[in-house]
Amino acid sequence: MSTTVLERLERLPHRNLTVLALRGISTLVPGGWTNITSAEEMIHGVLGSTDPELTRQVRDRADELSRARHEGYARALSLYDAVNRSQKAAGGLRVLANVAGALPLVKRLTLFTPANETLQAADLSLKVAAEMLAFTQVNGLPGDSFADFGASLNEYTSEARVRMAALVCFDGFLPLGDQALQRLDGLLGRVASHELRQLPAYVGMAPLIPGRGDQAHLSFLRRSVDQWVGWADGFASQLGLTGQRTVRALETTIGPWHGGFEQLAIFLDAFTDTYAHTGVQAVARRLVERAAAEI
Amino acid sequence: MSRRLSWGLGLLLIAGLVLGAFFVLPFRSWLPGGTVADVPNRLVVNGTALNRLFPAPEAGEKLVFTQEKRGFSQARLKQGDAVRALLSISDVTTSPASRAKFSSSGSALAGWPLVEQGDQSSALLVADRFQVKVIGQGAGLSLDERHELLGAFNLQALAALNPASTSKALPQAQAPSLAAQSPAVRPSLAAPSPAAQPSLAAPSPAARPNANRLAALQAARAAAHRETAVLTPAA
Repeated sequence: MSTTVLERLERLPHRNLTVLALRGISTLVPGGWTNITSAEEMIHGVLGSTDPELTRQVRDRADELSRARHEGYARALSLYDAVNRSQKAAGGLRVLANVAGALPLVKRLTLFTPANETLQAADLSLKVAAEMLAFTQVNGLPGDSFADFGASLNEYTSEARVRMAALVCFDGFLPLGDQALQRLDGLLGRVASHELRQLPAYVGMAPLIPGRGDQAHLSFLRRSVDQWVGWADGFASQLGLTGQRTVRALETTIGPWHGGFEQLAIFLDAFTDTYAHTGVQAVARRLVERAAAEI
Repeated sequence: MSRRLSWGLGLLLIAGLVLGAFFVLPFRSWLPGGTVADVPNRLVVNGTALNRLFPAPEAGEKLVFTQEKRGFSQARLKQGDAVRALLSISDVTTSPASRAKFSSSGSALAGWPLVEQGDQSSALLVADRFQVKVIGQGAGLSLDERHELLGAFNLQALAALNPASTSKALPQAQAPSLAAQSPAVRPSLAAPSPAAQPSLAAPSPAARPNANRLAALQAARAAAHRETAVLTPAA
């Protein structure tokens, strides 16, 4: 890999639509979110020291670790990228379909675009599965028992609260309605394997998902989503997340929105990359924590 | 060559390149191999062996394991929701520089050399191989609190942790890398146990012909690559 994780971190935007959307959703999450795009700032935060020599050592070690393929930090980023590309492609198609729907000659194009709820549900489940695969790539299987692993997963999700809130709201509540989490399993049950193959992210991720064949992959997706839904449900009700509140929170940073929830979801899909943005920050933090411990 | 055929070939080439760029490049990082500092995984202690050596949390505190990789294990010491410290054990086989910093260490803890890095981190080198480190987080920890935490690790068991597979399977491959890196750093005080010294006393590599060593190293790399193909960490 040519670019290291910390270089990716430094290339993240300081202020664009993605950052504004995340800042908006973070008003719903206690503790908030700071858009860290400086490797030095992150290293200083972890080390509790601003010594330039130590900072340089941590940076060198982090670069060495992220270049080693076996360590999985770069692999996690490639997962996030794959999901992000798929989201943008699907979002772009739907924006096009919305515009084309108004033009008489090309109206028929809308028939060919995947805009239905089952696909949206499959997309969300792919993101959740990517999250789990990325977790094991970055952190290994921490601890000696399943309880240890569960605690570690909990720690990770609570650290990435804004990231999870964005996932629940932008990919759950906005396109699928407030009952999204309860309906998710039923919707996934209706996904046919040829529909799954329409998702570009699935094509990229398929070799990494355990099991052989689309049906096995689907059942893996349903199982991983099943575990996640239990957690996400508690999270959403604890913070009182709903589609309505999401829109209001986004309006504080992006500006007034007059369309429907679904259009907002399509708009966010096509023009923001919240998933990859927060993903790079989460991986970079774990990488820096390791590098600081190893120098 | 007919005009149509050359056009067809050209288009095919372009399509292949575009498809390749889209699908192959981002997944290059999924190919097996590529270890830290090119040290074969076989020579590095698995993180699973390190987990049980962490200190037991006191009342009101919680230990949450966050990372476990080859040669590395890390946990957070939490009090309620606040993270107090990052505790970690790492195998310095892959980072000679972090071993070297202990050679100028003046102080010791439980017989092992001790180094302070910045205001919030203390590191201990056990058995010339394992670095144990405590980094204060949030409000921070005092020097004494950090040293107390370092002492709470199971240092005896850590020193006795002899990477069996290392010395048995690949003595030739191990010798050059370790012999090159090890300065004469030994605990100045009494070592806790005779088994503490890891297998550094391997036969001198100079006596062996170069080609032999190279072959052993290559075999070790090949073994490590085969191992990475299986994602589950071997015990």
